[in-house]
Amino acid sequence: MTDLENGIAHYLDRHMAQASDVRVHGLARIYGGSSQETFRFHAAWNESGRAVERALILRRDATAGLVVAERDLEYNVYRALAGHGVPIPGVHFLELDAQWLDRPFFIMDLCPGKPGNPFIPGDPYDGHGEEIARQFWSIAGQLAAIDHRAVGLDSLRNGALAAGFWSSELDHWEAILDEGEAVREPAVRGALRWLRRNPPPDPLKPAIVHGDYRSGNFLFTPDGRISAILDWEMCHVGDPLEDIAWGLDPFWPMTRHLPLGDGLAAWEAASGMPVDREALRWWQLFSAVKACAIWTTAAASFASGRNREMTIALSGIRGGHFHRDLILRMMRERGAMG
Amino acid sequence: MNLTTENALHGIDELLRERIAPEIGDPFAAQMARLSSLLLRICANAVEDAAALRVDENAAIRHLLADVGVLADGPQAHRLAQAAASADPGLAVSVLDAENHRLRCLLVDAQEWLESRRDEAAVVLDQRIWRHLEKTEARRAPRE
Repeated sequence: MTDLENGIAHYLDRHMAQASDVRVHGLARIYGGSSQETFRFHAAWNESGRAVERALILRRDATAGLVVAERDLEYNVYRALAGHGVPIPGVHFLELDAQWLDRPFFIMDLCPGKPGNPFIPGDPYDGHGEEIARQFWSIAGQLAAIDHRAVGLDSLRNGALAAGFWSSELDHWEAILDEGEAVREPAVRGALRWLRRNPPPDPLKPAIVHGDYRSGNFLFTPDGRISAILDWEMCHVGDPLEDIAWGLDPFWPMTRHLPLGDGLAAWEAASGMPVDREALRWWQLFSAVKACAIWTTAAASFASGRNREMTIALSGIRGGHFHRDLILRMMRERGAMG
Repeated sequence: MNLTTENALHGIDELLRERIAPEIGDPFAAQMARLSSLLLRICANAVEDAAALRVDENAAIRHLLADVGVLADGPQAHRLAQAAASADPGLAVSVLDAENHRLRCLLVDAQEWLESRRDEAAVVLDQRIWRHLEKTEARRAPRE
């Protein structure tokens, strides 16, 4: 066993009272876990005279990354949403003490399926794009319909608010820009001011917002079924249009697989709420600003040496340019250039 | 032929992409090698005109600040005139970036002030600033 495998085995041995002879093998890093380190592994043990083997995932804090995640947030969201219709992995252990594996982590089930990479040419969904896109929007609608208080998620960011989510989220991302921006980006700041001058209406009700709901952040099986929605580190309470706009972003657009109208119809059917198309346009510009804040954090964490992942550096450079260019195109549509 | 920084970085990029990455058995490490080569290529393509691009952009911002200053008065007009008359303190990229950040901050403030006026002259100048931002972003696009 490697050092990390040994560490996991030791942890499981100390935390599963009924288990003995705990072994961990097949540990492999999963490419794409940019905000947290993600590893798959197999754990085997004996329990009441019976041999047990499970395929599991370790999510460990990165030293620095795309977003500053609250350590227990994703674990708590998985726990709260279990059994509410949104496909998610089961979670088993949350450990905030760095003594075990150097940094906080949690352990969850390895779900069947694979992610579709929206950043490569060709069909990321092996010919199932349309049915996967329909599920994608339906699941987002299901999530929007859940009462965050009823599932115990009122401690999420904005969880106590009843309105004004747009303003709270703008404040949140502007603060992240302020912290990470080495060279001021006037286009992003101009878009921020436009968003404040032209606020959207409040949503019909507060919703659980995944925060990074997009192509690439879920698993699908060979028969075209979404088996798990992943990467909930940016989950908060807000306007459900935020997730829709993020899923539509042209950096990873779901409209590659299903026309916008069909996708929104699937969302409306699942959520029981209408989509305000004009407000959605506001959230699409917001998404581009939010993306710029995320890329700014990525660039800053690489530049500082706290994170040396190539995906982080490239996100900062390519993603930053893509979304500033997108902001400028959206502002041109809004008449900013005359 | 001169072995420039740009040329050397392109050489390392090719080595990583064509000879090293294909030989790496671990998928994660191989992907990191390919991404490293892409990052190197972007950096290599940014070396040659890095200073020129920043000098041009800083000059363009000073020009815009001068024009905003014509509409302003009092301390704001003085501040804008000072910025418009300033010069790049050096040609090292880090120095130019620091000056670029200073000027961009002033441009953000100037644009916010223009937005608060909404008279014809302010609107026209605001639109010029947005068009400048489009041009700047296009010039700064990462070249792969």
